Amino acid sequence: MAETSKSIFEKGIWAENPVYRQVLGICSALAVTNMLTNTLLMCAGVIFTTAMSNLTVSILRNYIPTRIRMMVQVLIIASFVMMVDIMIRAAAPDIHRFIGPYVGLIITNCIIMGRAEAFASQNRPWPSLLDGLATGLGYSFVLIAIALVREPLGFGTILGYSLPAKDLWWQSWTIMIMPPGAFFTLGLLTWWARAKTDPSVKE
Amino acid sequence: MKKDSLPYVLGFMLAISAFFGTGVSLVHHSTKDMLARNEQMHRNRTIAHAFDLPVVGRDADAFAAAVEEHVRESRLPTDQRNWTVFERTTEAVETSETDRGDIGFIFQGQGVWDLIRGVIVLSPDLEVIRNLRFLEHGETPGLGGRIEEDWFLEQFQGVRVAWDRPRDSRLIIGTALDPDAANRVDAITGATGTSQALMEMLNTDLHNFRQAFQDNQHTLETER
Repeated sequence: MAETSKSIFEKGIWAENPVYRQVLGICSALAVTNMLTNTLLMCAGVIFTTAMSNLTVSILRNYIPTRIRMMVQVLIIASFVMMVDIMIRAAAPDIHRFIGPYVGLIITNCIIMGRAEAFASQNRPWPSLLDGLATGLGYSFVLIAIALVREPLGFGTILGYSLPAKDLWWQSWTIMIMPPGAFFTLGLLTWWARAKTDPSVKE
Repeated sequence: MKKDSLPYVLGFMLAISAFFGTGVSLVHHSTKDMLARNEQMHRNRTIAHAFDLPVVGRDADAFAAAVEEHVRESRLPTDQRNWTVFERTTEAVETSETDRGDIGFIFQGQGVWDLIRGVIVLSPDLEVIRNLRFLEHGETPGLGGRIEEDWFLEQFQGVRVAWDRPRDSRLIIGTALDPDAANRVDAITGATGTSQALMEMLNTDLHNFRQAFQDNQHTLETER
């Protein structure tokens, strides 16, 4: 039976979240989450790529030769990533200098290839587009949550704006800017999310 | 035609490659001017920071105006390279025939992954490094990419180039027999390759630039 839009979104964002349930896309989740602005742009890039590659793979699914389907999927994903990369470089060059290497790595992000192969290649375009959006949003939900912890603790700012009277009462935690800070935050988030979503954890 | 037949597979790959290649090219073409403007602003900002110029504002025009007002750019062609040379212009330098301002040039070399390019600024006698800033690099974020961090760059301010030492150790990035040596800065933990590559390219370019600068000083002075 075809999945409803609601169940697709529920799975992508919560029940089968790519980061804390499937442990995919961890590299960028750790790397770009020390500043919320960087995170938001990275998330926009991933949502765009996941949605558009899912849509394209689904439209072409009956025409793509089976033997070379992975190659075609990579070509489609890489093209959208290059477009995203060029657009971020043009619109936000300073942020691109920081997240640029990770934008390129979206091509190898298992989330996108996984959804193209597991869902889009077997479903019609509309559900595939929704699945891509939902998966991208699920990824973004986790990254934004991590960034919302790391940036205030690490820099004493949110979206680059200082916490009120920061100099009087705030001591920045340097570790939160560095990769270990992301590991700790992601670990705690995964723990909390599993406790909420997996009934076996409660027993 | 069967989907898995060779002509179909080849035709499909050609068609899809052409389609997406055109799409990427169109996006690139439509943002070409913005990319060029961004590149120019980054260059001006890097030069302004390297020379510690007074900049009024934070937009592209402010950096362009500061560089235009305070830095003179010239070319120094040699057999090895066409050096891009910058000289800080102050009132004292402008009115004097002998005084020079701080001298900067674009250094470049192969990093661990990609080309590293940057601006190094030295005292007029080329003895002391005033500052160092990067124009581009492709080092690993979080490891070699940390060469752009302030703590690393600030170490170079005031470092003396040991011109009396062998060519590859006039500037040391990393460990040295004398940890307090005036020509040494700390390397980056976990990024030995990048630190070594940077040290080699700086030593090579400092040597070659000084030679080119001394050989062509007359030419540069007549350009002033």
